[in-house]
Amino acid sequence: MEKYRIIAQRILDRLSSRGADMAHCSVRESEMREFNVDGNEFSLFRTLFNRHVGITVFMGGRKGSVSINRFDDESIDEAIENCIAAAESATPDTAWELASGNGERHFSRGALVPDTEKLFIRTKELVDDIKSRHPKIIIEQMIVKHVSSKGVYMSTTGNCYFSESGKYVAELMYSAHDGDKLTSFFGSDVTVSDLDKPFIDCAFIERELQDIENQLDSAPTNGKFQGTVIFTPACLVSTVFGNICGNFVSDSGLLEGTSLWKDKLNQKVADERISVSFKPSDKRIVNGELYTGEGFLSEDYDLIKNGVLQSFMLSKYVANKTGNKPAKNSSFAMIIESGDTPLEEMIKSIDKGLIIGRFSGGSPGANGEFSGVAKNGFMIENGKITHALSETMISGNLADMLNSVVSISKETLVDGTVVAPYMAFDGITVSGK
Amino acid sequence: MLKDIITPKKCLFVPNAHTELRGQLSRSRGVTIMSGNLTGNSRQDVSGVSARVYKNGIYGFSSMAEYSSEAADAVLRAATENADFLDAHVAKGKPALPDVKSGCRTLSEDIPDAEQKRYVEFARSIDDYVAKKYTNLASRTVAAREDSMEKLLCVSNGFDAHTCLQRAYIYVIMNAETASGVPVELFKAFGGEGGFEANFKDPEALYPEIDALYERLMQKREGIYADAGEKTVILGGMMTGMLAHEAVGHTVEADLVLGGSVAGPNLGKQVASELVSLTDFAHTAFGEKAPLPVHVDDEGVEAVDARIIENGILVGYMNNRESARHFGMTPCGNARAWAFSDEPLIRMRNTAVLPGKDKLEDMIASVEDGYYLIDSSNGQADTTGEFMFGVSMGYEIKNGKLGRALLDTTISGVAFNMLKTVDMVSDEVVWSSSGFCGKKQPMPVGMGGPALRCKVMIGGR
Repeated sequence: MEKYRIIAQRILDRLSSRGADMAHCSVRESEMREFNVDGNEFSLFRTLFNRHVGITVFMGGRKGSVSINRFDDESIDEAIENCIAAAESATPDTAWELASGNGERHFSRGALVPDTEKLFIRTKELVDDIKSRHPKIIIEQMIVKHVSSKGVYMSTTGNCYFSESGKYVAELMYSAHDGDKLTSFFGSDVTVSDLDKPFIDCAFIERELQDIENQLDSAPTNGKFQGTVIFTPACLVSTVFGNICGNFVSDSGLLEGTSLWKDKLNQKVADERISVSFKPSDKRIVNGELYTGEGFLSEDYDLIKNGVLQSFMLSKYVANKTGNKPAKNSSFAMIIESGDTPLEEMIKSIDKGLIIGRFSGGSPGANGEFSGVAKNGFMIENGKITHALSETMISGNLADMLNSVVSISKETLVDGTVVAPYMAFDGITVSGK
Repeated sequence: MLKDIITPKKCLFVPNAHTELRGQLSRSRGVTIMSGNLTGNSRQDVSGVSARVYKNGIYGFSSMAEYSSEAADAVLRAATENADFLDAHVAKGKPALPDVKSGCRTLSEDIPDAEQKRYVEFARSIDDYVAKKYTNLASRTVAAREDSMEKLLCVSNGFDAHTCLQRAYIYVIMNAETASGVPVELFKAFGGEGGFEANFKDPEALYPEIDALYERLMQKREGIYADAGEKTVILGGMMTGMLAHEAVGHTVEADLVLGGSVAGPNLGKQVASELVSLTDFAHTAFGEKAPLPVHVDDEGVEAVDARIIENGILVGYMNNRESARHFGMTPCGNARAWAFSDEPLIRMRNTAVLPGKDKLEDMIASVEDGYYLIDSSNGQADTTGEFMFGVSMGYEIKNGKLGRALLDTTISGVAFNMLKTVDMVSDEVVWSSSGFCGKKQPMPVGMGGPALRCKVMIGGR
């Protein structure tokens, strides 16, 4: 770690001597070992050795940023000059702010040293498990890897954070095939800190493989109706809450003033059963964020508690610009509280609706309206799944949906990056052929 | 420019294996002004060296963030060890890759690099113009970007090459609200291949098109929702380009064919109207330089056009050297890597539907009740060919005449079904090249096409 400290200190000393108001930098090295499987066959083993130097300087309220991947003095000196030149070309802004006075901290987490042989064994086991248990699945691509990094973040405002971490990640893209029949593709992934369990038993990988196999005999919905739609946990995070965060509580929505929730802090925005938090320190999150891009030590926080908006997801910069408080971390370690209804009961209670695993559509507008294709979905009629869906579109409004919750499942997806249940919403427009 | 430390290493390539050694410098420069606030002002330079070794049906790859002779030695050793590791564990036992045409391509011109203040000043000029002239906007964003990939490649067999792909763009995004408070947004990218200075000399040159963008936004502000259902539409060239890339192009990438895409069982079959032909152009299209020319790919294959659909028949895929052997096709130079630390993947280059003989105005006049769909905000497609595109700008067509503008809507369908409904193709091609294609790695790509008259599902509200 000492070599990172020397480089970082030299960068900050140089910037201070050149008149920086404040500056921060990150000096890191990372390694990756990755196996690739394409079309059910191993195709590639790669090892990457990377470096990163990120420098940001503020001079007279002007900000400039530069990043390079070299540690030699000549490259770093050039980067410093480029960073100063970028700052000098900027316009002054008094809203920039860095964390201060946190002193020296040391963090170490996860699997720092890869077990490459065991990683290969687990990868091959996953390929073999899929072939034997789900013979109709073709793996379009599987990427299984160990990634690790170590380095330092240092600022002129009295912060020096040394950190090292490592984790294993498995990402799969696949579809099902039977003769001329084929399904849409689907992606499953999981992040873990050890290789104790077979990958197929992690997260919802086995369940999702089965769902895709069950998609082979699909049919369009007839006509148009308003019904109840169950979003699977992954789809709930990416389609519903991911877009809500992007549109209603993030930097751009507040800075541009387009957020529907800009005046809703501490007000009810959702059904009281909805609680959403960002908890990078939660044990179910693998190697969650330690500090934000502005150097603040990350703390867990609630976004929505019992339906009430508790916080925006703002950087310190945008918080200062808009007169709000910044978020306590800048991660997407989203934890959505589960409910008390088994998924089976949720399905039984629906007269006419869908359960969908993926949504293919454009980003919803600032008003939250969305429309797109329901992917990897099943029709629910009279409390039973009747058939897999094709060529079916859904539309609705994100803000309205949060107040039209029907039920939340007991079952919870834990994939190392998020924790989420199934959630059913009423009043979604479904249109088929 | 990168100094050649790569070629002297050819003597270290191991026998009985195919080796690629690549040095690369990737640069990006960016400025973002959001509602007058300079929120982004950054430069990035990333360089390093990587090696890939093909042995008995598997690849070993390694990269280091250092462009030096020692790093080149190290990645060659590591890539060979990785190939040996995987070969020992999976023993696929496939034969060596067939030889391809050999040669050498050099790079003579310097790669320009504008000072950061040029990006800031230019973007600020555009933002000031929009802010002063159009005070009724809800918000605005102006961004200036340049990215470049300089590569030095040396291969066991094929083309050794020193290449650079550089492009620069100004993005203008305008937001307004309808009378009922519905937000509407339009976006336009200016620029193309080459450095920032070559693309952008005078901000005033962009003003007429910015004015036109604002006018369309005001029309959209008064726009209507499209009626949902299957409709006769004229897809503008930008929409056709999106269709060519997302809904057809990805399904004919040979790695996705091997992964089970719909193109597998359709080779040699009618997948579109006889009026439809589609090509992935390498570096020259219709007698002119293609938007993002590729001359040699990252496997050392001299790039030529890949013919995909001819008169409605699916005639080929986009391949790398290994998939070309599998399918008995000729590799056309589609294996491209993004960063020095990335292995080449099968990627598109400049994918376009070929022009026909119809005039756009005749096509619009031929539609009794339908839509003219001009710009797409985004697009997604499946390996089944099922697609969904957001439509950010369009007009209704009533009795052969353009009517009111449309609010945001979506179109969807299955590419190989929808393309069979094409019955008119315009004689002019429109290109775009400002985005990135995402497939494990990002990649700059060009896409384009003429206007098409066809039937498609439109989402309505």
